[in-house]
Amino acid sequence: MFRGGNLGAGARIVRDPAKARVLASPLVVTSIRAHGRAEREPLFARYRPLDGVFDEIFTPSGKARRGLADVVRRLDALGERELKLRQRLADGAFLRAGITFRVYGDTRGVDKIFPFDLIPRAVSAQRWEALERGLEQRVYALNRFLEDIYGPQRILADGVVPREIVLGSKGYLPALRGVRPPGGVYVHVAGIDLVRAPNGELLVLEDNVRTPSGVSYVLENRLVMKRVFPQLFAQARVRPVDNYPVRLRESLRSLSRPDARLVVLTPGQYNSAYFEHSFLARRMGTDLVQGSDLFVHDDRVYVKTTRGPERVDVIYRRIDDEYVDPTVFRPESLLGVPGLVGAYAKGNVVLANALGNGCADDKAVYPFVPAIVRYYTGEDAILGQVPTFVCADPTSREHVLAHLGSMVVKAVDASGGYGMLFGPSASKKQCREFAARLRANGRGYVAQPVVELSTCPTWTPRGPAPRRVDLRPYVVTGSSTWVLPGGLTRVALEEGSYVVNSSQGGGSKDTWVMAEDGAEDPEAAE
Amino acid sequence: MISRVAGSCFWLHRYLERAQSVAQLLRVNRSFVLDVPVDEIEKHYPLIIVCGEQARFDARVEPSLRHDRDVVEDYLTWDGESPVSLRSSLYWARENARTTREVISLEMWESLNDVWTFVRFGAGRRKYNTDRDAFFKRIKDGCDLVLGQTESTLLEGEPLDFMRLGRFLERANQTARMLDVKHHTLGPPRGAETPVETAQWNALLYSCGAAEAYHKRWPARPDGRSIADFLVKEPDLPRSVLGSLLRARDTLARIRAAGHPALGVAAERALDALVAHAREAPLGAALHEELTHVIDETTTICVALERDYFDPGDQRALLEPAP
Repeated sequence: MFRGGNLGAGARIVRDPAKARVLASPLVVTSIRAHGRAEREPLFARYRPLDGVFDEIFTPSGKARRGLADVVRRLDALGERELKLRQRLADGAFLRAGITFRVYGDTRGVDKIFPFDLIPRAVSAQRWEALERGLEQRVYALNRFLEDIYGPQRILADGVVPREIVLGSKGYLPALRGVRPPGGVYVHVAGIDLVRAPNGELLVLEDNVRTPSGVSYVLENRLVMKRVFPQLFAQARVRPVDNYPVRLRESLRSLSRPDARLVVLTPGQYNSAYFEHSFLARRMGTDLVQGSDLFVHDDRVYVKTTRGPERVDVIYRRIDDEYVDPTVFRPESLLGVPGLVGAYAKGNVVLANALGNGCADDKAVYPFVPAIVRYYTGEDAILGQVPTFVCADPTSREHVLAHLGSMVVKAVDASGGYGMLFGPSASKKQCREFAARLRANGRGYVAQPVVELSTCPTWTPRGPAPRRVDLRPYVVTGSSTWVLPGGLTRVALEEGSYVVNSSQGGGSKDTWVMAEDGAEDPEAAE
Repeated sequence: MISRVAGSCFWLHRYLERAQSVAQLLRVNRSFVLDVPVDEIEKHYPLIIVCGEQARFDARVEPSLRHDRDVVEDYLTWDGESPVSLRSSLYWARENARTTREVISLEMWESLNDVWTFVRFGAGRRKYNTDRDAFFKRIKDGCDLVLGQTESTLLEGEPLDFMRLGRFLERANQTARMLDVKHHTLGPPRGAETPVETAQWNALLYSCGAAEAYHKRWPARPDGRSIADFLVKEPDLPRSVLGSLLRARDTLARIRAAGHPALGVAAERALDALVAHAREAPLGAALHEELTHVIDETTTICVALERDYFDPGDQRALLEPAP
């Protein structure tokens, strides 16, 4: 660090914010000259958190939370005009980089940009450490749970989780009982969705231990932030996220030979997350393959190349279980590789994540995760979670039906915001339809009371306003476990909306995990 | 490299080359028809023939409109069903790039996105309506940029060679098509043309980006025969049929040398034969047949490449040691 030399310059910048901006970007000069008056109002001058809702950045009285005053001051100094200008630069950067996703059921639009909001969501170092411990504990327990379910099934024999809930899960694959993947690792990559309750506590909303997506946005968001806010980054101490692909690659290789050939397996370019598959392959320095690129011979996996077949040792697959092998699961699947499950069962290939993980992140298993954690670790779960009604249980189901208007109902095996009912904003017709489905197939649904998700200041055409956010951190497990210091903060861009999914009008923000040691808890200010 | 990805590299460059070539063709034709008093039917409709779109175009457009400039230009620019319209070529170029993001460079991707975004969203439409020449130039330049970045940013190796192979074969094909259309309107080159005919041959040179090169090599008065000869047989001209085929042959030889000996045999044989043919073919009265042969044979070569390299089906046979 060039502390001595830079301190003076830094001090000047603080005294003369306009000058700092001039130094930062020639584009900005015009905007200051043209709109000098509007510039002077701090960005958050008119920002007010919602009553009874936790705000990530501001206390109820409108002061910056402790530990975030510095970030707020720097954003304030930008003012609305300049934020608007930089938001345009950021949007242009995303379009130019072709960072897009696809929405199912939308035939013509094809590529859409995942809307990105420039105002970051910051988390203090101390808060993050506690979260990290909670995530490691949870992922460890889910791994042991899967090892047990596809092995002796002690937890079922001991009656900790009802047998029919686990074995009746669509994600449970009885054919794989007795197959233990290398290292006993099932959940190589986990994306745990968290929401913050009004009291400031982070709660697990759902686990994603099959093929969690979104990490490419975390990395791309950060790149764009660095590009549009160079000086903000130079001064704020934010932990880096860009080593994720290399950590993932090392982690996966640690379960195979050191020179293992690793490929990323995608369903193809029409999948909504294709951009991410391609991005990860690129950043991991590996090949991106489709099912038709691979074949199995003598229980070994090969990839077809222009020089003839080459052996594959590790597959980071982004195809759902039921499509990976048409000879075992869906015979009509063209995405998979005939014989892949046989090669996997023989231990000739590492599949990440393992097959059959769906019985661990089944939404009907979720209510039992605290018990699962206690069972395998002997400790209480560090992370809390949201009260959940399993509609398989008749009493719970009646309760849910009676309070449908204040519940979020979710299909146990769906994700991405598909197949859910958000009670408070649902039409009468939608409620009737869901009620019928609940009565017909209770096992298929769970319901949770609506959580007053925390808000974060978010850019809107009328200036920064509170919008609901969630957080998906990523946990990578090979021979050891690592939590990415950051994560995907999704934001419901519509006023009053609680739905953050990209397919349903959500956007994303950069998540800043602060590096400073002994940092104050941002929640402790009030 | 992965077989399917090799195919995408190949097609990425075929589509880029095609878009480049069609944009150039449309642009040159616009200025050409201003200079030369030709019949309406010869002004715009030949573009449809060059692009091999006669059947589809005639089926869709009623006879009275087929010679209308805007109808022809709209079709070759925007038509979603035609595989040669600028929009289609750029769409498919970008789709192929999307599936090869891990092998193409960031520079290529961003430039291709730029030109695609231009066509896809309003800016391109507005430019097309207000300044069509600039619109075509922007597309041609955008393709040229990506093609140039390919050479200046990629490592030497299979991905780059498969891109080159696609580009050179498409180029041979495009030049042959352009020449063939002149044959349709002018008849075989004779060596002594009317001023109008000479102007048409000149326009052909411009469409192939070969006008300045021709004048450097040909000091006498331009005539149809020497122009046809130059565009088919000049090995030094990057866009001549023979020049493109020779470059394709060198590229395929490199790919074959690094790869499995059983792969690429048929394509190499067909390409060798076509090179020999292009060298020796007489270009007089049989020009049309010669050009048709080039167009058909590039297709044969592509089919052979597809079978061996891009979509090999089962490669199990290659696992066993060769007998």
